[in-house]
Amino acid sequence: MDITLNPADLTHTIAFYTLALTSIVAALIVVTAKRIFRAAVALAVVLICGAGFYILLNYDFIAGVQLLVYVGGIVILIVFAVMLTSSLESIEEPPSLGRKALGLFSSLAFLATAVIAFSETKFPLSSISAEQPKDVAKAVGRKLLDYGAGGYVLPFEVISLLLLASVIGAIVVARNPKRKNEGSAT
Amino acid sequence: MLDFLFGQLVATHATFDVVTLSDRTTQALAEDPWLAAGYALLGLAGVGGFLSLLGMALIYVERKVAAHFQCRLGPMRVGWHGMLQSVADAIKLLLKEDIIPDRADRVLFLIAPVFSIIATTLGLILIPMSPSLQVVDLNIGVIFISAVSSFGVLGILLAGWSSNNKWSLLGAMRAGAQFISYEISVTLSLLVVTLFAGSLQLSEIVQSQQDGWWIWRGHIVGLVAFFVFLIASTAELNRPPFDLPEAESELTGGFHTEYSGLRFSFFFLAEFINMFIASALAATLFLGGWMPFHIGGLHTFNGLMDLIPPGLWFAGKTTFIIFLIMWVRWTFPRLRVDQLMRLEWKFLLPVGFINLFAAATLVITKLYFFPW
Repeated sequence: MDITLNPADLTHTIAFYTLALTSIVAALIVVTAKRIFRAAVALAVVLICGAGFYILLNYDFIAGVQLLVYVGGIVILIVFAVMLTSSLESIEEPPSLGRKALGLFSSLAFLATAVIAFSETKFPLSSISAEQPKDVAKAVGRKLLDYGAGGYVLPFEVISLLLLASVIGAIVVARNPKRKNEGSAT
Repeated sequence: MLDFLFGQLVATHATFDVVTLSDRTTQALAEDPWLAAGYALLGLAGVGGFLSLLGMALIYVERKVAAHFQCRLGPMRVGWHGMLQSVADAIKLLLKEDIIPDRADRVLFLIAPVFSIIATTLGLILIPMSPSLQVVDLNIGVIFISAVSSFGVLGILLAGWSSNNKWSLLGAMRAGAQFISYEISVTLSLLVVTLFAGSLQLSEIVQSQQDGWWIWRGHIVGLVAFFVFLIASTAELNRPPFDLPEAESELTGGFHTEYSGLRFSFFFLAEFINMFIASALAATLFLGGWMPFHIGGLHTFNGLMDLIPPGLWFAGKTTFIIFLIMWVRWTFPRLRVDQLMRLEWKFLLPVGFINLFAAATLVITKLYFFPW
C-alpha cells in the first residue's frame, strides 16, 4: 500500500485515533466507576469526543449542538441530580449476579447487532475529501422547515409538541398542590 | 504591520478581509508545515499570554474601580499607582501551599479547575478582535461559545462536589441552578442577533453591522436584547449582584472554599476572563465589534470613522461594557435565591421570548433602520 504523508491527512488521522482512544477509555470508566459522579464526568468526556468526531467530518453545527445539548444540558442535569440525591462518600454497591448476567447478555446482543450491521452495510464514502458540506446549519434549517418531498417539517413539529407536553408535565409534577387552597383551609 | 493595525482605508465603504490565524495555518499546511506549526505555536502562546496578562490587568482595574466607587484610592504601594499589585499577588498565589482536603475526591478535585480554564480558553479563541486578529472563526461561532461556557460551570460543579464540604456543595448547586436558568435568556438574546445578521459566524455578524450597529439598527428589539444579554450574562458570570455561588458572607467562599494556590488562581482567572469574553461578545453582537461607527449612506462620515483602526474600536467597546459590569457590581446589593429565580423565570424569560418574536417580525418586514 502506498502511504503518502500529506500533513493535512496526517493531522486528521492523529486526531481521529486520539479521539477514538479517549472515548473508548472514558466509556469504560463510565461503566466501571464505583462513584456515580465520576461516571457522569466520564460520560461528559465521551460526549465531547463525539463532538470531536463530528468536527473531523466537517459537521461543525452538529458538533456544536452536541456540546450544547448533551454536555451543557444533560450532563449538567445528571450531575445536579447526583448532587441532590447522594453524597461523596456513597459508593455504588456491586450488582447482583442476575443483573450482571442480564447486562452481559444485552451488551453482547448489542455488539453482535452493531457488528452485523456495519459489516453488511457498504459505505460509499471512504475518503475524507470526497464531500465537504459548506453551510450545514443553513442546510439543516431548510430541511427542518421543508414541507415538500425530503423535508422534515412533520417530525420536527411532532417533536416540538412532545417537548411542549413534557414541559407542561414537568410543571404539573413540580407544582405544590397545597398552594391551591392555601389560606382557606388550615 | 501597518495593515494589521489599521485595516484597509477606503473612502466610501471600507471592506474588511477577515483572515484568522487558523486560516493562515491551513493555508501554510499545504506548502510549509513548519510555518503552519509556527502559526499554531504563535496562537497557543498568544492565547496563553493574553489570558494571564488580561487576567492580571482586569483584577487591577476591578480593584481600582471598586476603590474609586467607594471614595478610596485602592492599591497604591506596589509600582506607580499600584500597577504591579497584580504581579505581586500572582507571585504570592503561585508560592502558596497547594492543599488537597483529606477526604476529598482527589481526581475530580484536581481536574475541576482545569475544566474551568479550558472552557475559558476555548471561548477566548473565537473572539474577533480585529479583521486580522482572531484565532479561529467557526461558522457556528455563537453556538460554540454558548456550548463551551457550559464546560466552565461543569468545572464549578465538580469543584463543589469533590471538595466534600457543605459550603462548597451549596455554592456549586447554586451555580448550576443559576447557570441552567440564565443560559436560556442568553441564548434567546443571541438568537435575536443571529436572526438580524442571518449568520452564526462571529466575523459575519460583525460584517453585517456595516450600516449600523444592531443595538440601534434593531431599535427597541436590539436594545431589549442587549439589556437581557447583559443581565443574564452577569448572572452566568456569577458576579455580584448574582454572586450567590460564592456569597462570602454565607458560604465562606462557595465552590472554591477548599482551593488554594495555583488551583484557586485558575478559578479566579477564569472568572475574570469570562467577564472579558461576555463583554467582548456583547460588543461584537450588539455594538459592532471591530466595525467602526457607520451610518448607512453617509459615505464621508463613514470614511472618517474608518480612520480609527478596528482594533481600537473593539478595545473601546469592550472596555466600556467591562466598566458597566463593574459599575453594576459596586452599585447593587446581592439578590436572594428566590429573587434570582423569579427575575429569570417570571421576567427575563417572557421578555426574551416576546423579543424574539418581535425580532422575527422585524426581519420579515425589514422595519429596522437602513434595510439595504
